[in-house]
Amino acid sequence: MSWKLAVVPERCSGCKLCELVCSIHRFGVNNPKKSAIRVMVVYPHPIIRMPIVCRQCKVAKCMENCPTGAIVTKDGIYDIDEEKCISCQQCVISCPFGAIFLHDEMETPFKCNLCNGTPHCVDACPKNALLFLPEHVLGQAQRMASVLKYAHMKEVEYVERGERKVLKYADIEKGKGED
Amino acid sequence: MPTSKKEKGKIKGGYFWKILWVDLDREEAIPLEFDDAFALKYIGGRGFAAKLLWDHLHKGPIHPLGPENLLVISPGPLAGLYLPASGKTSFASISPETGIYGDSSMGGSFGAELRQAGLDALAITGKARTLCYLWIDNGQVKIIPNERLRGKGSLETEGLVKEELKDEHAKVATIGVAGENRVRFACVNSDWGRNAGRTGIGAVMGSKNLKAIAVRGSKDLPVFDLPRLQRVSEASFRSLRENKNFTFWQEQGLMSVIDYVNEAGVMPTFNFREGTFEHAKKVNGYEMLLKYKIGDTSCFACPMACGNVCLVKEGKYRGTVVEGPEYETACMFGPNIGVQNFAAILKANQLCDELGMDTITAGSLIGVLMEAHESGLLSERDLDGLHLKWGEEEGIFEAVQRIAHRKGIGDILAEGCLGVMKQWPQLRPIISQVKGLEQSAYDARIAISMALGYATSDIGAHHARAWTIAKELEMGMNWPLEKKADLVIYHQTLRPLFDMLGVCRLPWIELGFDEHRYAEFYSAVTGVETTLNDLLQRSMDLYDLTRLINMKFGISRKDDYPPERVFTLPMTEGPHAGKILKREDYEEILDIYYQKRGWTRDGLVDEKKIANFNDPLVTS
Repeated sequence: MSWKLAVVPERCSGCKLCELVCSIHRFGVNNPKKSAIRVMVVYPHPIIRMPIVCRQCKVAKCMENCPTGAIVTKDGIYDIDEEKCISCQQCVISCPFGAIFLHDEMETPFKCNLCNGTPHCVDACPKNALLFLPEHVLGQAQRMASVLKYAHMKEVEYVERGERKVLKYADIEKGKGED
Repeated sequence: MPTSKKEKGKIKGGYFWKILWVDLDREEAIPLEFDDAFALKYIGGRGFAAKLLWDHLHKGPIHPLGPENLLVISPGPLAGLYLPASGKTSFASISPETGIYGDSSMGGSFGAELRQAGLDALAITGKARTLCYLWIDNGQVKIIPNERLRGKGSLETEGLVKEELKDEHAKVATIGVAGENRVRFACVNSDWGRNAGRTGIGAVMGSKNLKAIAVRGSKDLPVFDLPRLQRVSEASFRSLRENKNFTFWQEQGLMSVIDYVNEAGVMPTFNFREGTFEHAKKVNGYEMLLKYKIGDTSCFACPMACGNVCLVKEGKYRGTVVEGPEYETACMFGPNIGVQNFAAILKANQLCDELGMDTITAGSLIGVLMEAHESGLLSERDLDGLHLKWGEEEGIFEAVQRIAHRKGIGDILAEGCLGVMKQWPQLRPIISQVKGLEQSAYDARIAISMALGYATSDIGAHHARAWTIAKELEMGMNWPLEKKADLVIYHQTLRPLFDMLGVCRLPWIELGFDEHRYAEFYSAVTGVETTLNDLLQRSMDLYDLTRLINMKFGISRKDDYPPERVFTLPMTEGPHAGKILKREDYEEILDIYYQKRGWTRDGLVDEKKIANFNDPLVTS
């Protein structure tokens, strides 16, 4: 079963703890600029805080565009083979999400490799804006939100102690779409 | 400056050993190097800032808005590191608002970025010939003239500078129109609404023709023992997240304080006359959550996310977006001036942010005018056509605009409470201030330790140095004055220590984070085994230094009194109705306080201690 790193931008507060732990675990330094995840902030119209991180695409543009075959894949996780990489930065440009990064002290670009199966950023995120989920669960949050929205619109009939009642969920409590 | 190289090598991390000295007159930047002894003694943050200002004062007199004034931006050795809330940086100068030592701590990521640029502190003196901004690219400085930024808002400027530099990741500290116009309580903005709010640092930048400072840094931060830091930090983050108030705090942040102070009867209401507000429920954290909050924001490396992003979705102020309000703003622009419409508070907050002025001082001065108008101390003519009645929203916004642009009466208000008292001496008794800094939003009438805290704070009546009111309320009022003086001194030592290290005090205050952890962080980072007591001692010494700076401006016992109201005007409502402080109690606690600090009865630091602070900074 393949696992995916999912981002819930609405929850992100922009604290960059994901960047910090990434740099520490990946490169052994305290340097958010050497992390394979990057929080982008847009303000004030609209207001968005969103970590950008590799989605491990099945049709990987970075891999297609790499002239030296330096993007390698194993169990659905992509990484850069530093031996083969010539640092032409084709992958950086071709990634539709900008999820491959450069640093002036690094020879080659770098990207998320899911910490070999236990991404540390997920544990570090204090807002649960990063989730590590089995692939088939992805999209569940949106599906649940959609279902709950539907329930909000509807009046639901039910029977309690023999009495027929009508309930509109929206009147009780704001529904929360959990993952 | 002496050039002898001194001992180095004991400290193995935490510093880049570089303070960048920028002279805008000569358009040059000189790196200053310091040694172990300097770093051990002053630690960083406001410690470095106070020392640099002290040395600078020896070169000649300083007028706060003159080119000779020195602006120091100094994050501290823990800033930018993997530990809770390491995103603080101190902005310090001789304050245009008070004329004495002034500093203000800013959150966000500016300090972390400055450190990644390889700087332990940035000192700026002189005055640029035209409006400009500084671009510090990994430690390399450029002064970039840009007249087009004149008249632009703080946040607008942040966006424009990022656009010009083509770098969304750069961190930019900016001033608004208020700073350009040298409004004496202008603030410095960064990260879309994080402010160095108090003591008028924005006016210092304005006086230097410095519209913004942009920084980009990509260096590894020096940490002696990273695995050890990681161990302590992981346990620290866990303990914060396991705290039962963690989620509540993320939801409400400082807005939760409204209910607390209102119930405790210490919420400034109607210009500090009352301590409870009838309509507090309309301006509290729950109101914010229900109708306005659309997201959370954090400073660097902070899990607590106490920042709230609010949007007004309907009504007159529809479309108003602001990062805030913090408690102080909500109170000073809410109950303190009779406003019970949360959307209006958000509007005022947004205006102040964009114009770049301190919401505490602005709210306080507007409250003073409202009371003066009501009681007849000022005439309609004095008010220059401003409609200032309790809760009168349009009048409030107009006042804020006029202050920023120094239009008419705004020109008087822009001088801060000292200027207002000069213009209208009759207002002196109704202004809540110490040393020219308007009191922040906690009443002191019922808690003598809070009054002492305000009165002896080195920057004026601000709660950042000692916020003892909660403890005094919690323990009941009747405990010995000596213990209360101890409490104030402990606060005035620990809280400024956070500003020396470059971390936020809120984990400690709000979620009971163990302050001893900071000694562990410091030890892991620097490689010098240090206890909390060692660190506290250095913070204690630094309080002597800021006092010495203030003594150069004539500060002594006569300036260490709380706002007059705490002795004369009882509240009429709430749990503390009828209570005021006794003058003789205050004299007694002040005597005890001086004695414990080792100061004279007149509040002066022993001349012999001066030599302790004259150690030279080593240049490269």
